[in-house]
Amino acid sequence: MSPTKLPSAVVTPEQIETGNSLWHDAWSRLRKNRLAVCGGATLLVLALLCAFGPFFAQSYQDQNLDLGAAGPSAAHWLGTDTLGRDLFSRILFGGRISMMVGLVATFVALAIGVTYGAVAGFFGGKIDAVMMRIVDIMYALPFTIFVILLMVFFGRNIFLLFFAIGAVEWLTMARIVRGQIISIKKMEYIEAARALGLSKRRIIFRHMIPNILGPIIVYTTLTIPAVMLLEAFLSFLGLGVQPPMSSWGVLIKDGAEKMEEFWWLLVFPGGVFSLTLFSLNFLGDGLRDALDVRSSKD
Amino acid sequence: MLRFTFRRLLQIIPVLWIIITATFFMIRFVPGGPFTAEKAVTPEILRNLEAHYGLNKPLYQQYFDYMGSLLRGDLGPSFKYPNRTVNEIIGDKLPTSLELGFISLAVALAIGITLGTLAAVKRNSWLDYVCSSTAMIGICVPTFVLGPLLVLTFAIHFQWLNASGWYGPSDRILPCLTLGCVYAAYIARLTRGGMLEVLNQDYIRTARAKGASEARVVFKHALRGGLLPVVSFLGPGIAGILTGSFVIETIFQIPGLGREFVNSAFNRDYTLVLGTVILYASLIVILNLVVDVVQIWLNPKLKFE
Repeated sequence: MSPTKLPSAVVTPEQIETGNSLWHDAWSRLRKNRLAVCGGATLLVLALLCAFGPFFAQSYQDQNLDLGAAGPSAAHWLGTDTLGRDLFSRILFGGRISMMVGLVATFVALAIGVTYGAVAGFFGGKIDAVMMRIVDIMYALPFTIFVILLMVFFGRNIFLLFFAIGAVEWLTMARIVRGQIISIKKMEYIEAARALGLSKRRIIFRHMIPNILGPIIVYTTLTIPAVMLLEAFLSFLGLGVQPPMSSWGVLIKDGAEKMEEFWWLLVFPGGVFSLTLFSLNFLGDGLRDALDVRSSKD
Repeated sequence: MLRFTFRRLLQIIPVLWIIITATFFMIRFVPGGPFTAEKAVTPEILRNLEAHYGLNKPLYQQYFDYMGSLLRGDLGPSFKYPNRTVNEIIGDKLPTSLELGFISLAVALAIGITLGTLAAVKRNSWLDYVCSSTAMIGICVPTFVLGPLLVLTFAIHFQWLNASGWYGPSDRILPCLTLGCVYAAYIARLTRGGMLEVLNQDYIRTARAKGASEARVVFKHALRGGLLPVVSFLGPGIAGILTGSFVIETIFQIPGLGREFVNSAFNRDYTLVLGTVILYASLIVILNLVVDVVQIWLNPKLKFE
């Protein structure tokens, strides 16, 4: 990737205003990718529905025991569960938790991974060798098993869940960021920043990371589905989000237990969850092509 | 090559030691012990139980005792199943999980490599799009959705197969297909990418120029290089199949070690949890080593990195 700003040359204010051509190019490339646009639009609709839908829909905990589990109808679009609760609203409420876990845990992974990778790449030498060896070793560890143990032993707390998932998913981000940092380390504008006597922290966070935002954005978009998958996996085992809260993983678990009589309890939550993963993956792939990121290819 | 293998073997020891120690102390610092579960036991009985299992000794003593017996290959008695040792339980349940894992891996490799190669050879044809979108479905429909859906269709609706259990050969179909499909999808994508890169290289053009048939070019010349990304994925893939088996064994009620592990964690059966974690960790670390060695054997350039 080419740096967006070059240190020398005289720039007029107008040129600075229109100088963001990298992002401009990427945006126009992304717009041409129909799958990615569809993915982005679907995500936007789902996010808006989950965020604001519950204000209009029936409450997710209103029970109607007389009704019990009923199939899709005009009153309950996606049917009701065994307690007569509207499945549509339950999916919207579950979506809030699932998406929140996806965003927060990804942010944790992002913060750890970017800092770790940038430090390793920037300092290089022995520090880099030791830090990346640790990442290599951690790659080989059965982390999911440790997350399961954490959740069982230390209570199924949603904040612990964020942290545990984030602590597992940062490794690949660290590797990608390190590779990128090494590739721009020797460029002139970094040398210029050094010559100006800027602190190391300022060089890394102010001058290097903004220039490798492309790969970071791409990989973040691809981390979110991985994180949501892990959350649903834990919830399916009964270790993730706990009642009265519910997430898509919890709904899928409930649905799988009752699917013999009430198929819709499995099919709709599973469908919405898969749709979200599809959208995120298509958007991520589209962003990768648009930002022309080669090094983070699978 | 031998020196590399030996060096990696030596690295395994500290890694396993860290895992064992971390798990040991993590479990011991957890609130609530194995005997504080449902029924409250009287203090005397609790004291006797703890004395019987050596839980009243100082922590470091317990740690050294455990490490000592571990070196002799003894994982200790189970806390929840009286009269059974962890070795017995693992010996009982592991073969089932291994069978599930190996068949699933075989399914994943067979489907994944076939789809990926087809997609790469017929690049940008309808076949490529079909293969690639099938792979996307495999990645985005998680096992715990796919499994129940398959049961709903083939066991409950058509009644061709059993919904759960692990008795006859037909009981293997649904679980292994469910677990294999997800990894087949990843493998297909990696194969396609790897093959595309290799098929553009000079030595493939040379092979074509020699007049080798297309099949010979693909299978003899391209596949070895094209499968490199797949080989490096096998490490995380195997780890994923192992943990994936927790969910599969729950869905299909398979009496394997994965379900036992989750239950033992819920029950706070210290020794069983520790034993299973040690087993899984060793399996994963050793298989990763095998993958590394195979990778270098396939691509000697890596040795110098």
